[in-house]
Amino acid sequence: MKILVAEDDRVSLRILEKNIGAWGYDIIVARNGDQALRKIGDKNVRLAILDWMMPGINGLEICRHIRQNNGSNYIYVILLTSRDRSQDILEGLEAGADDYMTKPVNFLELKARLQTGRRIIELEDKLLESNRKLKDLASHDSLTSLLNRANIMKFLEENLDRGKREKQPVSTIMVDIDEFKRTNDTYGHFAGDIVLIQVAKRLERCLRKYDKIGRYGGDEMLVVLPGCGLKEAGEIAERLRLAVVGAKFKTLARVLDISITLGCSSSAGLSRPTPEALVKASDAALYRGKKQGKNCVVTG
Amino acid sequence: MNQAKKSQGTSSPIDIEDALARIGGDPDFLRELLDLYIEDFSFRYALLDKAVHRGDLKAIAELGHTIKGSSANLSLSSLQEHAFELEKAGKNGDLGKARASLAALGTEFRRLKVYMATRAD
Repeated sequence: MKILVAEDDRVSLRILEKNIGAWGYDIIVARNGDQALRKIGDKNVRLAILDWMMPGINGLEICRHIRQNNGSNYIYVILLTSRDRSQDILEGLEAGADDYMTKPVNFLELKARLQTGRRIIELEDKLLESNRKLKDLASHDSLTSLLNRANIMKFLEENLDRGKREKQPVSTIMVDIDEFKRTNDTYGHFAGDIVLIQVAKRLERCLRKYDKIGRYGGDEMLVVLPGCGLKEAGEIAERLRLAVVGAKFKTLARVLDISITLGCSSSAGLSRPTPEALVKASDAALYRGKKQGKNCVVTG
Repeated sequence: MNQAKKSQGTSSPIDIEDALARIGGDPDFLRELLDLYIEDFSFRYALLDKAVHRGDLKAIAELGHTIKGSSANLSLSSLQEHAFELEKAGKNGDLGKARASLAALGTEFRRLKVYMATRAD
């Protein structure tokens, strides 16, 4: 864990450096407040020991700066000050310091206090990580790992808004696995799930990095193509179709031939291109494709 | 801490045991720190001398504060006390006191240098 030590007195700094280094921390040194301000920008700095009295910007001001400009990572701050200024504890804590030590520093105590800081930083990291995972879980479909319906619709809405501003079309493709009910009925739901997961993977791999695909419901998936007109959407849809029919699907017990039908529509062809209107148009095209015998792309 | 031990005159300018305990017990490291201290002190003393002659109270208080902290780290208690006197004199605007403390600080520093020279092993 990286620690910033800001101290203008060389003797104090050298003692801090030697001890803290021996405890396994990675030390960055600042000899005055301006250096400290620059070095606190390093994203890996998670702990800071700041001398209160320094020429230029003092430790208290750095502390306030850290709290006001707090990026994604919390920095645990210990302020150092001399014994006769212990009345300043309150001011230091109000500026956002987590802890406070008087000089000359008792190193056993500093070691213990750094461990406390480290524990808090590690807890914060765990919390952020689980928040990230929860957010991910809440926005993705648990079976296919694609975006869930709410989030693919949100993505569509945002891109329609942007498309309107930038005068760019947005297209959608509704994808449905052919005879999926029969696959489920014949080979069981477990085989059906495996097919769904694999179809999702193949489709996702075919898309450009700014396109998105989500599970719309059952075996229906919705592809959103920002900046894309109807003709191009049809070409992409054909690529998706070939990615599915082009190779067999292996479930645990057998090898299956699977195909998909795709319905494309574009905001350019709609008088009021709302997310719902676009999805409805893609759905209608998909329905026509199913009527025409499946395993095909229908545009418009 | 060692308020009772007013180590003026004949006693050692540094409490070696106390200093070693604070820095982790390594005599070579203590020597390195004392060399650093002496280098910085000489520079700061010259600044302090100028500040006292100019009557720059803010600089006197700041330099006194810095020397006080540095001295405390190495258990140089009489240097620490004189530096503290200077800091207070700067804050209180007492130039007479500052001049007296500056002289005492200089004397005590020379004593430290003599002490170091005689223990140059």
